[in-house]
Amino acid sequence: MSDDRRNRLPSDDRDWTPSKLSVTDKLGLTKFKPDAEPHLSVKDKEVCQATCRRKYCTHTCPAQVYRWEEEEESISIAYEGCLECGTCRSGGCPYDNIEMSYPRGGYGVQYRFG
Amino acid sequence: MSDITNIPITTDRFDAIIVGAGPAGLSAACTLADGGARVAVIERGDWPGSKNMMGGLVFSQPTAQVAPEFWKKAPLERHITRREMWLTTGESVVRAAYESTDFGAEPYNSFSVFRSRFDKWLAGEARAKGAIIITETLVEDLLMEGDRVVGVRTGRPEGDLEADVVILCEGVNPFLAEKAGLSKGVKPESLALAVKEVLALPREKLEDRFNLDEGNGAAYEVIGEITGGIPGTGFIYTNRDTVSIGVGVILKDMVDQTAEAYALLERFKAQPQVQRLIHGASPREYAAHLIPEGGYRGMPRLHGNGVLIAGDAAGMVNAVFTEGANLALLSGKMAAETVLRAMECGSFEAITLDHYRQQLEKSIIMKDLKTFQDVTPFLSSHPHFFTMYPELASAAVKELLTVDSLSKADKMHLIIKLVRSQRPARKLMKDLYDGWRTFS
Ligand SMILES: Cc1cc2nc3c(=O)[nH]c(=O)nc-3n(C[C@H](O)[C@H](O)[C@H](O)COP(=O)(O)OP(=O)(O)OC[C@H]3O[C@@H](n4cnc5c(N)ncnc54)[C@H](O)[C@@H]3O)c2cc1C
Ligand code: SF4
Ligand code: SF4
Repeated sequence: MSDDRRNRLPSDDRDWTPSKLSVTDKLGLTKFKPDAEPHLSVKDKEVCQATCRRKYCTHTCPAQVYRWEEEEESISIAYEGCLECGTCRSGGCPYDNIEMSYPRGGYGVQYRFG
Repeated sequence: MSDITNIPITTDRFDAIIVGAGPAGLSAACTLADGGARVAVIERGDWPGSKNMMGGLVFSQPTAQVAPEFWKKAPLERHITRREMWLTTGESVVRAAYESTDFGAEPYNSFSVFRSRFDKWLAGEARAKGAIIITETLVEDLLMEGDRVVGVRTGRPEGDLEADVVILCEGVNPFLAEKAGLSKGVKPESLALAVKEVLALPREKLEDRFNLDEGNGAAYEVIGEITGGIPGTGFIYTNRDTVSIGVGVILKDMVDQTAEAYALLERFKAQPQVQRLIHGASPREYAAHLIPEGGYRGMPRLHGNGVLIAGDAAGMVNAVFTEGANLALLSGKMAAETVLRAMECGSFEAITLDHYRQQLEKSIIMKDLKTFQDVTPFLSSHPHFFTMYPELASAAVKELLTVDSLSKADKMHLIIKLVRSQRPARKLMKDLYDGWRTFS
C-alpha cells in the first residue's frame, strides 16, 4: 500500500489490507456459542488416508474446520468454528465421508448481522 | 431475545407446525395465524435470523404481500436506488448501472437488510398475529405414521409435537425433507457456496465513496476474474454504516479445482476498483451459506401426506438474480393457503395438498425457475463467460475510449478482429445462442 493511501486512512480504523485477514482473523469476528458435543465427524479414517489424495475438506470448508494432521494421519475437526453452511455434506468431501448435523438448538454460530 | 417467546413445549396439538423461522416459515406463519390456525414455528437458533445470512436485498413487492408497508417498521439498512453490474478482468471493469428516483420513494423497490435483525422482526409480526415461535430448538426428525407425517421430534426432553400438517422451511440443507423421502439431497453442481464479510465505514465516507445521496443505497453484482474462472459472482451492498461484500462460487467447480472461497473473497477485495470502496473499513463479521441454484430441475417433491416444503428447502432460488428470500416469502404464503384450504375440507392427504403445487405452477415462482433452470449448468460448461468475455468487453471499451489516430470505424474493425482471435466466430455464435436460450 502506498504511503499516500495510508495517509488517507481514518486514524481510528485499523489497517486491514486484505491479505492480512486470515480465516482465523475472520472467525474471530463472528460470534459462536460452542456446544460441548461435536456435531461433525469423519465416517471412515481410512478413506482419508488411502483414497483422498487432495484432502478436499481442508480447502472447501469456508471456516477451515478440517485440518490434515500428518503425524496422526487423520483429519482433526475444530467444530467450534463451524459456520453450519453444509458444504462438507454436499460435495465438499467428494467421498461423502463427513457426517454433519446441526448443533443442538441454541448452540453454534450466532450472526449479529447475517 | 426479548420480543420472541421461548415457551416450554407442552403436549398441545397444533393445526400446523413449521420448521424454520426464515422468510418461508415466517410468511407461512403469518398467513396461517391470520387465517385463524393454531400454528407453531420451531427455530434452532437463539433467535430467528441468528443462523441466517444473505447478500442481501429484500424486495418490496413480495415482502409487502406478507407485511404491508413493512418499510415503516422493519429494521432496514438502505433503500436501493442504484444497481450496477460489473464485468471485471481483475485490472479493468466494464460497468452497467441502473438508477431510478422511483426507487427512492414509497413503495420503494428493494432494501439492504441484515437477516439477523430482519428475521427477528418478521418473527415478532408473526407472533403478534398469534403464531407461537419456539426458539433454541432443533427439529431432529419427523414423526411418521406409515407414510404420513404427523409431527416433529425436537431435541428437547419430551419434545415430540403433533400436528395435522408440517411445513418444512428448513433452508438449503434439507435434512428433514431427505428423511421424509421427498428430497434426494442437493448435488454440488446445483449449489453455490457464498462467503461474506460485513465491513464498517463511517456513513458520510460510505455515501461519498459510493456516490450516494443521504440514505440511498447501491447494490453491485460483479462477474469476471474474481472467481478465477470458476463460475461465480461477487457482490457489494451498502448498508447504513457498513458494506456487505462477498463472493459465491458453484460448489462442484470449487471442489474440482480445490479452490478456497475465502481466498477468492480476499482476491476480490484486493481489486483496485473494490479497494477504492472499502479500504480502511474494519471487518465486523464473517459468514458462509449455501445457495440452491438448481432451478426447476433441482426441486424435490413439494408435498406428501401431511407435509409441504417451501423456500430454499424446495430449491426455490432464481440463480441469475440471487433472489430467494422473495420466492421463500411467496411460497411460504402459498403453502399456508393450501393448509387453510385443507383444514376446511379436513383432509391433509397428498392429493389435497397437491393444490400447493398447482398454485406454484401458475405463479411467477415456477415461471422464473423454469426460465433459469439451465443457467447454472450452462455457466459450469462455459467457464469462459467469467474470464474471456469480461476481458473482451474490457478490451473493446478501452479501444473505443482510447483517443488515437484510428477512426471509430477502424476501431470497430479492430475489436471484431480481437474478439474473433480469442474465440472463433462459429464458437462465438454458439455461445451467444446457448446463452440467449438459457437466459431468455
Ligand atoms: C450470499 C447470499 C446472498 C443472497 N442474496 C439474496 C438477495 O439479495 N435477495 C434475496 O431475495 N435472496 C437472497 N439470497 C437467498 C435467500 O437468502 C434465501 O433464498 C432465503 O433465505 C430462503 O429462505 P428460507 O426461509 O427458505 O430459508 P432460510 O432463510 O435458510 O431459513 C431456514 C431456517 O430454518 C432453520 N432450521 C433449519 N433446520 C432446522 C431444524 N431442523 N430445526 C429448527 N430450525 C431449523 C434455520 O435456522 C433457519 O432460520 C441470498 C443468499 C445468500 C447465501
Ligand atoms: S475430503 Fe473427505 S475423504 Fe478427503 S480428507 Fe476430507 S473427510 Fe477425508
Ligand atoms: S458445515 Fe460448512 S463451515 Fe461447518 S464444517 Fe462443514 S463446510 Fe465447514
